[in-house]
Amino acid sequence: MCPVRLPRVEDIESRLTGPRTASRLGLWLGAAFGICFLTGIWSHLQQDTPGWLTVPTSPASLYRVTQGLHVATGVATIPLLLAKLWSVFPRLLARPPRGARRLLLHVLERGSIAVLVASAIFMLVSGSLNVVQWYPWEFSFRATHYAVAWVATGSLVLHVAVKLPVIREALAGPEPSSDGLGRRTVVTATLAASVATTVLTVGQSVTPLRRVSVLGVRDGEGPQDLPVNRTAREADAVGPALDPEWRLTVAHAGEERSFGRDDLLALPQAQERLPIACVEGWSRSADWSGVRVRDLLELVGAPSGVDVRVESLQRRGAFATSVLPAQFCADPRTLLALGLNGTTLALDHGYPCRIIAPNRPGVLQTKWVTRLETLA
Amino acid sequence: MSATRWATGAVGLAMIAVGVWSMRGFDADQLVSMVVWLAGGVVAHDLVLAPLTLLVLLLGTRVLPARARPAAVVGLVVWGGVTIATANVLLDVGGRPDNPTLLNRPYVAWWLVLSAAWWTGVAVVAWWTGRRGRALTRGA
Repeated sequence: MCPVRLPRVEDIESRLTGPRTASRLGLWLGAAFGICFLTGIWSHLQQDTPGWLTVPTSPASLYRVTQGLHVATGVATIPLLLAKLWSVFPRLLARPPRGARRLLLHVLERGSIAVLVASAIFMLVSGSLNVVQWYPWEFSFRATHYAVAWVATGSLVLHVAVKLPVIREALAGPEPSSDGLGRRTVVTATLAASVATTVLTVGQSVTPLRRVSVLGVRDGEGPQDLPVNRTAREADAVGPALDPEWRLTVAHAGEERSFGRDDLLALPQAQERLPIACVEGWSRSADWSGVRVRDLLELVGAPSGVDVRVESLQRRGAFATSVLPAQFCADPRTLLALGLNGTTLALDHGYPCRIIAPNRPGVLQTKWVTRLETLA
Repeated sequence: MSATRWATGAVGLAMIAVGVWSMRGFDADQLVSMVVWLAGGVVAHDLVLAPLTLLVLLLGTRVLPARARPAAVVGLVVWGGVTIATANVLLDVGGRPDNPTLLNRPYVAWWLVLSAAWWTGVAVVAWWTGRRGRALTRGA
């Protein structure tokens, strides 16, 4: 009788895992995390701009690029992180060393790795659920994704400091002979997985690829050829937006003027081609028409160089008001849009009027606008 | 330990501190939920995904001839990576009934088509490399 023997895991593990594979994957993973961190911080600064920073209005597509890169890189990182974790998985079962000092160092190292792994997985999972707008948790997505990003990136930097000698040795050492199933196979296959994932999903930001990206969250279609992030119904804006009595109020230093849609259409109209770039990574350019915001502000005697508070009719959800910084108000491309791609602005795109400015996160391109007021 | 390593480590610790400091305004419910999701990811990976991968590899070493294994490993890494990276659209979660511009493709159907095409290609490559290997062995 042939005795049943469990196959030896080490046969395959030793060639597919270990410092060699881990270090090479780590280089790619480090670069990916670096891109995600920097573009994420940039997005955060755009949404919560500190006093010392003046966000530029050009290039108009800057946020489209940075946020598209943020989400695309995050998605492409998922296969990389999984392969990296796999390459070091056997270490999880390593026995702790003897001796109090060594044991303490071992526990500290393991603790820092636990924080790194937990926060890295958290970032990718929370980010990929945010893009499908599923929030099965109690925390605020934006605040937590931001805070844990610092922890994840800090843990990664700490991990590199601890492992530097191992990394140097693994990257510099001679390549052992391989029979075709070794480190190269795993690293190449992982990179192929990242590229495949990118091609299958990135069309939501890279418009020419949208027909190829069959697993992308959005196909780029929508009313007036533009996707919608939050509908009028979700924002509870339908009733007030369709109210025939709707007026736009523009206010500065006690002076107020109010306009109906016909009044706005009677003012000099401008056309601009600008992208909508959502924090969830999707973006698309469109042709907007409407009144330049700076022209409207001039009608109430507002000087250039002032910030403007934009109020929406929406009664539900965040960003019911936004602040349009002075440089965006002064930029002639910033419109109070009344039309989109040649027709009247659709309700879900912000009818009766919305803000559209160059280089702004989508959540700050306030829809269903009812009031513009300068801030002293 | 070199000064560079100490400095790098200090930068890492400072960044972690910034992250923890950013959580100071979170209430208890938020913190508990965050910790559950932090720990949940590790548990899901270490106790489910990694052992499952190990099991698949063990089965592979028993079932597949050695020459077919590189193709099978590449097949698994790419297919598994893409599948998990796109699980957010495959699991039919999220989206909103009033927003037809979000999650508006037949994702599972596409995934089935792509999976079938991919594994067919992997099987062809594995068979071809196996045949070539046998021919080389006979020739030698």
